[in-house]
Amino acid sequence: MENIKEITKNDIVSEGKKLLDAGAKFVTAVCNDLDEKFEVNYVFSQNRGVDLTLLRYAVGKDEEVPSLSGITLSTVLIENEMKEFFGLKVKDIAIDFGGHLMLAHDSPTTPMLKSKKAESKGGES
Amino acid sequence: MATRTTVPFGPQHPVLPEPIQLRITYEDEKVAEVVPVIGYGHRGIEKACELNEYPKNIFLCERVCGICSYQHSDTVSQVIEMLWPLDIPPRARYLRTIWAEMARCHSHLLWLGLFADAFGFESMFLQFWRIREKILDLLEMTAGHRVTQSVNVVGGVRRDINEEQKKTVLDSLADIRRLSNDLIRVLVNDYTVKNRTVGVGVMTKEQAISLGCAGPTLRGSGVSEDARLTKYNAYGELNFEPIVEYEGDCYCRMQVRARELLQAIDLQVEALGKMPKGEIAVKVKGNPPANEAVFRTEAPRGELFYYGKGNGTRHLERIKIRTPTFANLPAVLIMLPGCQLADVPVNVHSLDPCISCTER
Repeated sequence: MENIKEITKNDIVSEGKKLLDAGAKFVTAVCNDLDEKFEVNYVFSQNRGVDLTLLRYAVGKDEEVPSLSGITLSTVLIENEMKEFFGLKVKDIAIDFGGHLMLAHDSPTTPMLKSKKAESKGGES
Repeated sequence: MATRTTVPFGPQHPVLPEPIQLRITYEDEKVAEVVPVIGYGHRGIEKACELNEYPKNIFLCERVCGICSYQHSDTVSQVIEMLWPLDIPPRARYLRTIWAEMARCHSHLLWLGLFADAFGFESMFLQFWRIREKILDLLEMTAGHRVTQSVNVVGGVRRDINEEQKKTVLDSLADIRRLSNDLIRVLVNDYTVKNRTVGVGVMTKEQAISLGCAGPTLRGSGVSEDARLTKYNAYGELNFEPIVEYEGDCYCRMQVRARELLQAIDLQVEALGKMPKGEIAVKVKGNPPANEAVFRTEAPRGELFYYGKGNGTRHLERIKIRTPTFANLPAVLIMLPGCQLADVPVNVHSLDPCISCTER
């Protein structure tokens, strides 16, 4: 992949703001479980959506990370999702669904972690 | 002083074919605040992808959505192909383009019908859906199925379009174009339709970009952005330019989809005329390498984003799907406040929300 910019969690808000101020549009964020840590990618598009830029940082699983929802509401849903599905500790999300954007009260917690194996419910997989 | 009342709109509501709740606070009959509540039907498809060897994930991912299932299979195929990367035969790229535009036609026809129904124009709803059947017939004839085509594989496609089918498709597209044009002329000029949609649910260009909107929702606010500009499949060889309207209201979002329906027909005709002869798939050897890729296509509702990560085995380490409705949902925070209670269904429908996609 091209246009990956490695940053730290402390720079995500300022780097994201720079891109948005330059006319970029937030596309989505992707969280990956790297066993010992999380890798978080914020994806922005520019040039009529043709070019993508990924802001990538790695963070320990117990560390808190800042939210971009203070500068753009477009990140609200995906930041809630990463919080629920991975247990990424995103703080100060503009609309915080308290762990229940997608998951019900009796759902499994942090289902996207590698340690939570997907289970087949019958049939050949 | 206005009376504030909070009313749940959904998850089961006559205008919502799928479960989503909008928790709407009204001041008298005017919307003051709205909070979207989802999660009624999440299926964990990204997690379920871990269970399958990579070729089977195409058939799983195309079941994310019943309407844009074709685009899901196209996009997941191509994000996996990008991991090598594989060079896909030109004819396969054209076939993928033709089926993608057929899918856009049936999705937009479905939406135009539902939109008409949202403000009580039931005869138009049925007329649009009658035309849609013709597109589904074409999909069945060429791809083998009306809804979930299962025609994409890693490396190309599984079926070809022969000369006889091509002629039938071209004849039928001419018919569909004529019928659609007649209905669209009524829809965009009708006094009642204008009364219910012009100036309703306005979202400015700046707001649409700031909220990260996608597809006709974005283009209806004057933003000329479309994943087809990245020239995937055969789009780089076709006469394509995004359709844009500028007022940002429900009427503009309707016009974008109506014009895109006609454009999709033109793109199919052009692609069928330019489609080169040759193979329709390449043989894929080995497993996807340890690599990562992003691939985006323009689904009927907007940009569909797939992220894939391989680890050298037949099981991918990660598939991430960002669907257009997931991007468009924050728009209700801007569009609904200030509108009348009676305009909420039309407003919500103007986003063409797909909850099945959102809760992948």
